[in-house]
Amino acid sequence: MPALRPRLGSSPLLRHLLVALVGGAVALAVLTAVDDFRAGQLAAMAYLGIAAAGLTVLTGLNGQLSLGHGAFMAIGAYTAALFLGDVEPAAPLAVVLLAATAVASLVGLVVGLAAARLHGPYLAGATLALAVAVPGLAIYFGDTLGGEQGLSVRVPEPPAWFADLLFFLTAVDPSRGRFVAYLSWFVLIVVLVLLANLSQSRVGRTWRAVRDHEVAAELAGISLTRARVVAFVVSAATAGLAGALMAMVVRLTAPSGFTLTLSLTLLTAVVLGGLGSLAGALIGAALLTFLPQVVTGIGSDLGLDDVQSAELAPLVYGVVMILVILLAPAGLVGTLQGWRLRRRAAAGPAAPAVPATARPSDPTRPSDPTRPSDPTHPTHPTHPTDKAGRA
Amino acid sequence: MLEVRDLSASYGAVKALDGVSFDAADGQITAVLGANGAGKTTLLRTLSGLVRPTAGSARLGSTDLLRTPVEEMTRTGLAHVPEGRGVITELTVEENLRLGALGAPSGGERRFDVDRVTELFPVLGQRRHQVADTLSGGERQMLVIGRALLAEPRILLLDEPSLGLAPRVVAQIFALLRDLVSSTGLSVLLVEQNARSALGIADVGIVLNLGRLVVQQAADTLVDDDQLRHAYLGF
Amino acid sequence: MQQLLTTTLTGLVLGAVYAAFALALVMIWRSTRVVNFAQAPMAMLTTYIALVIIEAGHSFWLGFVAALLAGLVLGAVVERVLVRPVEGKGDLNAVILTLGLFIVLHSVAALVFGSRYRSFPAPFGVRGIEVGGTTVALTGFGIFTILAVVVVMGLLVLLFRFTDVGLRMRASAHSPEVARLLGVRVGRMLTLGWALAAVVGSLAGLLIAGGGLVHPGYMDAVVVYGFVAAVLGGLDSPGGAVAGGVLLGLCLSFVSGYLGSELVAMAALLILVAVLLVKPSGLFATTAHRRV
Repeated sequence: MPALRPRLGSSPLLRHLLVALVGGAVALAVLTAVDDFRAGQLAAMAYLGIAAAGLTVLTGLNGQLSLGHGAFMAIGAYTAALFLGDVEPAAPLAVVLLAATAVASLVGLVVGLAAARLHGPYLAGATLALAVAVPGLAIYFGDTLGGEQGLSVRVPEPPAWFADLLFFLTAVDPSRGRFVAYLSWFVLIVVLVLLANLSQSRVGRTWRAVRDHEVAAELAGISLTRARVVAFVVSAATAGLAGALMAMVVRLTAPSGFTLTLSLTLLTAVVLGGLGSLAGALIGAALLTFLPQVVTGIGSDLGLDDVQSAELAPLVYGVVMILVILLAPAGLVGTLQGWRLRRRAAAGPAAPAVPATARPSDPTRPSDPTRPSDPTHPTHPTHPTDKAGRA
Repeated sequence: MLEVRDLSASYGAVKALDGVSFDAADGQITAVLGANGAGKTTLLRTLSGLVRPTAGSARLGSTDLLRTPVEEMTRTGLAHVPEGRGVITELTVEENLRLGALGAPSGGERRFDVDRVTELFPVLGQRRHQVADTLSGGERQMLVIGRALLAEPRILLLDEPSLGLAPRVVAQIFALLRDLVSSTGLSVLLVEQNARSALGIADVGIVLNLGRLVVQQAADTLVDDDQLRHAYLGF
Repeated sequence: MQQLLTTTLTGLVLGAVYAAFALALVMIWRSTRVVNFAQAPMAMLTTYIALVIIEAGHSFWLGFVAALLAGLVLGAVVERVLVRPVEGKGDLNAVILTLGLFIVLHSVAALVFGSRYRSFPAPFGVRGIEVGGTTVALTGFGIFTILAVVVVMGLLVLLFRFTDVGLRMRASAHSPEVARLLGVRVGRMLTLGWALAAVVGSLAGLLIAGGGLVHPGYMDAVVVYGFVAAVLGGLDSPGGAVAGGVLLGLCLSFVSGYLGSELVAMAALLILVAVLLVKPSGLFATTAHRRV
């Protein structure tokens, strides 16, 4: 293994593909082993993970905050629903997914052009407005988009070659629901590999430069606007793709599925995992998917009724979100890495260099545990130590 | 009397003040001189509590300044006019002045009120109800000095009052400062790049270099010391 | 004609509420450079407190005052406990913090008060006033709404212009370091600012609820409208926030009356983006450009 590492480490693409292959095999095995209910949950985790990964690229790498990614998911979901409605014959899956991605990208381009000129709270407010505004359109154009009831989505039949392949690999025939779960995880892995490569490429470095040193980036000939818009489009496209999968998993696309809560939930996933970390986004998505069940169970044990118990999960997210910001702004992954790096550093100069310690699947690991350039990091070295604070 | 002993402060690894000791007597102007980065501004910011010292002591009469929070400083008799003037530009001239008076120690006799200050600086009286943003540089300097006086200080810490002002305006403000000190027994710690003007009104000068006190001498002795003048004061 | 008048009057009443809410956002933004997105659920929570008191058989006004006081306490606690640690630590952290609080208050309200719609009483008629045989859309509660907002704004002007505390608060907001050097306890002033802003936000919450339905999310859209109104006014100017609120109330009322209520949020978004792109320092600003 030690001999293998430098060779693999030398090519990010190879490394990512290897991790993706292993991840894909594990996902295939797990999805085959679990029951239908769990498969549904895992499918939900996959689409949340895709959307969160897109958001973490935008917020973590490019420093733009979006509270409106639920809106892009809605756009992707409605696009998919229109393709997968009553029209016969249903369009091929790839076409549906690409169309959802394309439409979300287009809207993302428009929003991104405006967003590129906004900072901090202005951008937050504008994207918040987007999240609130988009579901209203579905009601306004009720004839096409189904109004409050929404559009029901027919889950596509798995293609024959896929059924055959799966039968060959696992000796089971996939149900439609199961097929969507496999599909979601496949898309998740593809998206993660693409985003991981993107963030390690020149583009990703450009985005980070724009985030950390606006002026320096501009002096170096980087167009701030273009970098921001491209980041926004990529992120919106990813969210749209996630929305399309969500439509297939939920089998319904309605305004009530795209409330402000969805957008804030995505942000929660990103903050929980650590802004800018794809692995963190995945962990965040997993927490969002599986925590509610656990917490709701605890609520029932405490004697709360079902409706109340269901509210415990968001309560926990919110509290954790606040605690993360107050105590560990680098998120779970960032904090663990920082802690590990510090420990290695403390162990002496013989400790291996950073790349060997960082997870290969995480393209955005901090090269320096203190990450002074990270906008979300709290310990900006303010020079004069302010005495006593304010009374 | 301000007594500073072995005062040190640092920004991270950089020592900005390194064991500075001096006294500033009541009723005197003490000019604090030295090149950029000598530690002059840090000295004032440490005394008024904006920067936490790493060692040493500073007493104003019976008050331990280093144990006094920033927002209590005016009530112990120390007024600090920061570099870059510190006019609150969104407030009117009168509101700036009122704010100064709010910081005065409770009880005790009042030597200054808004009328007295506008007598000292008539232009402030004329602009009383204007937003401070509309004032010129010299007027702003008068406003912050007037505002500091309303806090009834025993010692006034002035950081670069001449910065960016025309020589005529500097001369006017410095002359006024000299009169004030003579008539009220106020003491002043005057940080200046403009060493020649500062020594013109100061009783005592101290010279800082790289955070250390180089010399403390009567102002006229300093002016006569060619070697020192060339080395640290640049005139 | 009838519809025009109705739409205008509805817009004015709505505008008064948006103005109050925008003012609350501006007060906090000016002092701590935080846009308090949690203002909406904070107001929702205090409105529920009023509802509980009223439903327990006490008078509307006892509930009303209790809600405002609860707002005062809630605002102070939020600033002191949660916001203080992230002040000056970058935009992203503060925004995320207020959103975390948004989620928490939502679920707390749903846990404690339930998430179903509940009707909130109004002390005055919620039917239109009759003028010369035709019913005008202006209700008794509508008039009360406008009056309440005007009175609160008047009180705030008096506080900020003519009292020592108000002067200290303004100084703390504009130049915290200078204010400290002048003996102002800036931290206390910021806490007080948040507390007062939360009172104004709570008032907006009560006024929206009056004669209508409340549920944990009933203020969510209002925070968007309040933010848009505040940006219309330049985000830094209390007067601008009020003017922006009234203007936005009228605009949205016309959108709702003539195009459809589903488009109100989209209209607000378009107005927001247009203002930010064309005149980022606010419609009423005369001074320099601002980085948004």
